[in-house]
Amino acid sequence: MSVGREQAERIAHLARLRFEDDELTTITEELNHILEHVEALREVGSTGDEGTTAEDLGDAAAASAAATRDEDADHPDTLVRPLDSFAPDWREGFFVVPPLPGTQGSDGA
Amino acid sequence: MRRAAPPAEVVEAIREHESGPGSLNAFLAVADPSDLRAPGIRGPLESVPLAVKDNLATLLLPTTCGSRVLEGYRSPFEATAVRRAREAGAVVVGKTNMDEFGMGSSTENSAYGPTRNPHDRARVPGGSSGGSAAAIAAGLVPVALGSDTGGSVRQPAAFCGVVGLKPTYGRVSRYGLVAYASSLDQVGTLGRTVGDAARLLGVIAGHDPRDATSVKRAVPDFETAVGRGVEGLVVGIPREYVTDGLDAGIRALIDRAADTLVDGGADVREVSLPNTRHAIPSYYVIAPAEASSNLSRYDGVRYGLRVAEDDLVSMYERTRSRGLGLEVKRRIMLGTYALSAGYYDQYYGTAQRARRLITRDFARVFADSVDVLLTPTSPTPAFSLGERTADPIEMYLSDVFTVTANLAGIPAVSVPIGRVQGLPVGGQLLSGWWQEERMLAAAGALEAAGLGERA
Repeated sequence: MSVGREQAERIAHLARLRFEDDELTTITEELNHILEHVEALREVGSTGDEGTTAEDLGDAAAASAAATRDEDADHPDTLVRPLDSFAPDWREGFFVVPPLPGTQGSDGA
Repeated sequence: MRRAAPPAEVVEAIREHESGPGSLNAFLAVADPSDLRAPGIRGPLESVPLAVKDNLATLLLPTTCGSRVLEGYRSPFEATAVRRAREAGAVVVGKTNMDEFGMGSSTENSAYGPTRNPHDRARVPGGSSGGSAAAIAAGLVPVALGSDTGGSVRQPAAFCGVVGLKPTYGRVSRYGLVAYASSLDQVGTLGRTVGDAARLLGVIAGHDPRDATSVKRAVPDFETAVGRGVEGLVVGIPREYVTDGLDAGIRALIDRAADTLVDGGADVREVSLPNTRHAIPSYYVIAPAEASSNLSRYDGVRYGLRVAEDDLVSMYERTRSRGLGLEVKRRIMLGTYALSAGYYDQYYGTAQRARRLITRDFARVFADSVDVLLTPTSPTPAFSLGERTADPIEMYLSDVFTVTANLAGIPAVSVPIGRVQGLPVGGQLLSGWWQEERMLAAAGALEAAGLGERA
């Protein structure tokens, strides 16, 4: 299975990445090169359970597999510096971003 | 721990080193001397200068993960591992260079330039925790924190001739560790000696309510385990790791390490982990898949770099394209593809099944009375800068012996076992889930025999 240029462009869009033409050519080639190696997994087959169960690992590992969030989990730390000290754009308690494409900005409205 | 120089002197030495002509570029930030007031804490790490990988959140120094997208970013909270080390008396003297977000095996993928190997400056220190390993090897600090997603603590430790320890998944809290691949990421320790790395692990280990993957389990005395000896220990050498294709010099060092363990009273035998061949392909599906999700947060909205654009989607795309490096983009693309509709089961589902087979291989040998496995840490000693940057697969293959421990979640430690062509070689010891003491006993025995200092 190989990835075409158009498909690479679509993946880039899904990942919110933008590539110049020559970069897209290179990354498409590299993706195909890597996927060739991943193809070796085919022999693992497409059936069977996913994930690992406690029985696979024996008792010692079960504690790890069974780890879940505590009911009494602590809240995260109080931040030592305020959000506006690192937010790219912050006004009146909100992160400010440009409008969605094709819509009119409502800045100042 | 051998008594280290006072932190203020260490910081001065690091500054001098990093600004000098022979700089290794091991540090991305160095503590301000005025922030080094003696904490007055009596503890197992009293006044120990500690270097911290730049993907662990620190309060006083920036946390950039080796990326432009987080240039100058100061975390508003502190990683649990860092806090616990400080509370035991350690003093954070600097943040160490790394492959961007942990994605790399040479530290060449840092946006702030590569780190060099102190044993040969034309060579890489390994990665992604290359700055931490190089700083210890250069004698700048005795211990450092790193993170290990596919070998990122152990492989640089091997390349730099120091000790690198990845604990069991769930042993150390990852609160404040910037996420790369969450089902694989674990905080690890590096040290000049096995005992130093073990002591630091003992301090940072244990349940943390702020990380749901950290497990409620007693923390053993790791440092004592280092001197326990190997009498009666059953050591397996997996034939899939010590193949005919392995560098002859490294193979000879593994044989010598095995003999040393036998001399100490261990029972050494050959074992088989037949699914090892699936490790690299499944790792390079699972890790990028998780990365593509974890790194979606670098979008220019809440923190980090923003490239101003007129509309939101263009802002996301320009910010990410300028802020993230080539290898990071490559893995995000790969992961996005592997998770996309129509390909999910073919790639991600299959990789998860392969992961289960690898895990079962380990479970079987450890259930079959094997205590510890001995393997090389990496198939080669440190390679030259630029040697593997042209071909991603070449670079990925340097993780072939280390990714399995992350896929299965078991602990592993790399310890120096000798030199090939003057360059350090690491031996990797792996044990079953929560059995760090066993691998530390074996690593301690190899260290005590002085293998690391010999050719």
